[in-house]
Amino acid sequence: MPRIHLLSDHLISQIAAGEVVERPASVVKELVENSLDAGAGSVRIELEAGGKRRILVEDDGGGLGTDDALLAFDRHATSKIGSFEDLERVATLGFRGEALASIAAVARVEMLTAEASGEAYRVRIEGGRVRVAEPAARGRGTTLEVASLFFNVPARRKFLKTPATELRRSVEVVQGYALARPDVRFVVTSDGRSVLDAPPVAAGPEGLRQRIGQVFGSALANRLVPLEDSFPALEDESGERIHGFVGTPETTQGRRLFVFVNRRLLRDRSVLATFYRAVRDEWRSDQYPALFLFLDLPPEDVDVNVHPQKAEVRFRDPGTVRGLGDVLRSGLARARGEVPAPLRSPADGPRAPLAWQGLGERSRDGAGEERSWLPTVGAVVGEEVAEAPSPLYGTGGGGAPGRPPSTRSDDAASQAARLAAVAFPPVERAAVPLSGRSGETRPFRLLGQYKGTLILLEGPDGLYLVDQHVAHERILYERLRVDLAADRTPSQALLTPMLLELAPAESLRLQELAPALGECGYRIEPLSGHTLAVTEIPAALRQEEAEKVLLELAADRGEADPEAEGGVEGLRQRLLEGLAASLSCRNAVKMHHVLGAEQMESLVAELFRAEQPYACPHGRPIVLQMTDADLERRFGRRK
Amino acid sequence: MEIRLDRAEFLTELAPMQGIVERKSTIPVLSHLKLQARDGKLHLAATDLDVSLTSWCEADVALEGGIAVQAKKFMEIIRSLRGEEVALTLEEPKELTITAESSRFKIHGLAPEDFPTLPEVDEASSVEIPFKDLKRMISKVIFAISADESRFQLNGALLKIKPESLELVATDGHRLAVVEADLEGAPATDGEPPSVLVPRKALQELQRFDGKGDVAYRRGAHHLSFRLGRRELICRILEGTFPDYERVIATDNDKQVVFDTRRLLESVQRVALLTGDRARGVRMSFAPGQLVISAANPDLGEASEEILCDYDGTSFQLGLNPDYVSQFLAAVETDSVRLDLKDENSQCVGHPVDGADRRYLCVIMPMRL
Repeated sequence: MPRIHLLSDHLISQIAAGEVVERPASVVKELVENSLDAGAGSVRIELEAGGKRRILVEDDGGGLGTDDALLAFDRHATSKIGSFEDLERVATLGFRGEALASIAAVARVEMLTAEASGEAYRVRIEGGRVRVAEPAARGRGTTLEVASLFFNVPARRKFLKTPATELRRSVEVVQGYALARPDVRFVVTSDGRSVLDAPPVAAGPEGLRQRIGQVFGSALANRLVPLEDSFPALEDESGERIHGFVGTPETTQGRRLFVFVNRRLLRDRSVLATFYRAVRDEWRSDQYPALFLFLDLPPEDVDVNVHPQKAEVRFRDPGTVRGLGDVLRSGLARARGEVPAPLRSPADGPRAPLAWQGLGERSRDGAGEERSWLPTVGAVVGEEVAEAPSPLYGTGGGGAPGRPPSTRSDDAASQAARLAAVAFPPVERAAVPLSGRSGETRPFRLLGQYKGTLILLEGPDGLYLVDQHVAHERILYERLRVDLAADRTPSQALLTPMLLELAPAESLRLQELAPALGECGYRIEPLSGHTLAVTEIPAALRQEEAEKVLLELAADRGEADPEAEGGVEGLRQRLLEGLAASLSCRNAVKMHHVLGAEQMESLVAELFRAEQPYACPHGRPIVLQMTDADLERRFGRRK
Repeated sequence: MEIRLDRAEFLTELAPMQGIVERKSTIPVLSHLKLQARDGKLHLAATDLDVSLTSWCEADVALEGGIAVQAKKFMEIIRSLRGEEVALTLEEPKELTITAESSRFKIHGLAPEDFPTLPEVDEASSVEIPFKDLKRMISKVIFAISADESRFQLNGALLKIKPESLELVATDGHRLAVVEADLEGAPATDGEPPSVLVPRKALQELQRFDGKGDVAYRRGAHHLSFRLGRRELICRILEGTFPDYERVIATDNDKQVVFDTRRLLESVQRVALLTGDRARGVRMSFAPGQLVISAANPDLGEASEEILCDYDGTSFQLGLNPDYVSQFLAAVETDSVRLDLKDENSQCVGHPVDGADRRYLCVIMPMRL
């Protein structure tokens, strides 16, 4: 008997279904996209048991005729493209022609559709087989009901999460389309309860603001600054248009970042990285304000056929992303209440040529910029910044990723050329230089304090700089983490509950996390619609801090799945670390604070007893080292 | 300006100005006092723009006039002088000469016109509140005012004039203090009695007033006036919505336990020595006939103390912030205090036993430890 044989069509469908249909949220996504592509003005979504039991999507769009209704369930059957050329300029949301066939392969599907009132048609399919096809009654539009998802694929079904989690994911999907299409009404109900109801709003920026308010609450919507006003010129002949909103500094809690390309929500790294960079340039901040960004480009300038779930796009013109940076920077400046600063690209900015190497593996910030309070260190030497790899700018090694080489004056260039002869390679990652953890203490000598900020140490193999604030923060952090983890975190009940106004998906996320939050001193109860009541908070936190931690967790979309992260205990660890980091930062010695020799010695001794003496809880380096070899090279004693 | 006045009387009126003057203001004139000689009196004024205080002293006014002087230095000078009388002369517009016996100071000042115009409360009708009652009531709630500046509507106390009583309420979201005392001659009003939010600083300064008699309280559109004798304190009304506090106070706390106020206060303070710097909580374990107060801290150690009491219900434990408990107990004037409790998840409501006030209570929300 041959061991290799052709798979049956049915099995092929099931395998393909796996790519498109992963969970109820992917069904919702495909069906909502179909509704929108059919020109719907209203889309209603009903979910039961988070969509595991039943998903219903009803629209008032174009509907299908009798012949099309059956064909729609065939693989690669689509009305949206007809030729390879069409693929070059996809203007609809879906186009691959896989969705309905894939869904029908793994669920019980019923479609009721009508091109015009009175000419409806009903098709029922189970596990890919047509069971019923008959005329029926319905107004114009389509209703798709998907029941018992994965009823014939038990392996998949097992991987579904709790109804609350699945519901949240579906709502996140709908939320994205609701923002993309303010002209369409979106209604979501879950087990008969209304989760989202967003009536259509007028076109234009104020309409968009209203829609954002419908989803996230007016508190956020009222704090948004429009992006487009600053650059009407971008609406140029090429058809390129950038518009949207950026939040004021008060909106930095959590990451509410929404980027739409041609009304398609995506998590494209290059666009997000541009935003992160713009925030750092304009605000010098690690906290990101809310962003609702819409890029409307001619369809042939974007390639969306990169990824089956269309989460990423490719831009034909790389200049698009750069132009975006300018718009964002000026929008951010205005959001912070400043007159738009003259535009500059990051390449023109001053770079602090700090060639000292941060110790430890977790240095997240570009060492140069973060250390701007040390303006002169290394300024006489013209080397390139050995920038630490930053997750935001891709995972490339040192060498200032994402930045073209700086342009220097002739003078500087010639100096650089001279120094190229002695250019020294990146310092190797030193092993633990001064050890406490291993019990072995190596001698170090306190040299003093620099500008009330850095502690200078002479070590056996080089000169060490210790940032006193982050060093103390690290010590406190480790102490607190142990303390907090020892017991249940004490909580303080509030006289009147603190009310949180959240988007439905955010509120659901916090409800999912409720047991873990309870361990950490929170008690939350759903009130209605957008609102959650917080009745107890961790006693160590002030109310505003407690609120901030919750908002950050709520907005943490998808990235932190309680089940994927070691369950409740994993989340508890994360929360505790968050609490400890915020408390220790508040209590640590500040910069520009003069310390006595004994204080410095004890701080350093405690630091080297810490588990991780080289990076602060926020990931910044604590200790910089310049080895004897580096010093000798710099003084030209060694090649 | 050319005047002579009694130094002791002058010092008495200057003293309360100190609390009003902004020490770290970025607006230089706010660290000044305004002096204005007129109609046989020297008028004094200080303000931080939110709270203002005015007063006056008898003076022999030879020539009227005014100046604003740096408050701290001026008070130090007047306090340090010898003799019963002090003379103030304005020889040049912004130069004040102070003489007493053989001392002579000449200090620079600002033109009186540079001093902010103080708000006035036009409302003619006033409510008379005995000062000793007001002072006592303030001390019973002021500790519960929130220090969290991001919650500005809690940075003051609610003052409510009821038909026959006066009520003061303060909360920081974790606890709530309510005091209500009889008040004669309060104006009758229709519907909900008028209430207003008084900023903490105004209450603090009012507490420092001395003297007998009644405070005349008047309410304007944006400001309040409290006048006692020569002194008038005017403060901006704190805008914001105060919580609906009556609904917050539990009415079903059926376990009532009476303690000796002083004993309970001292015990809580002692045990609290072994709570940490943050997330402070003591455990109150009630059992028939006794209360055990305990605290444990991983860095420090443990403490516990037993108090006999007349409790006869089921045993239960309650976590409370010892600061909240002791601040309330310290404000209680009676020998005995009653705590109304329910279970470990419910608030503790404290009352003095046989207190002077119509009502005094403090709600303390529990901690989970």
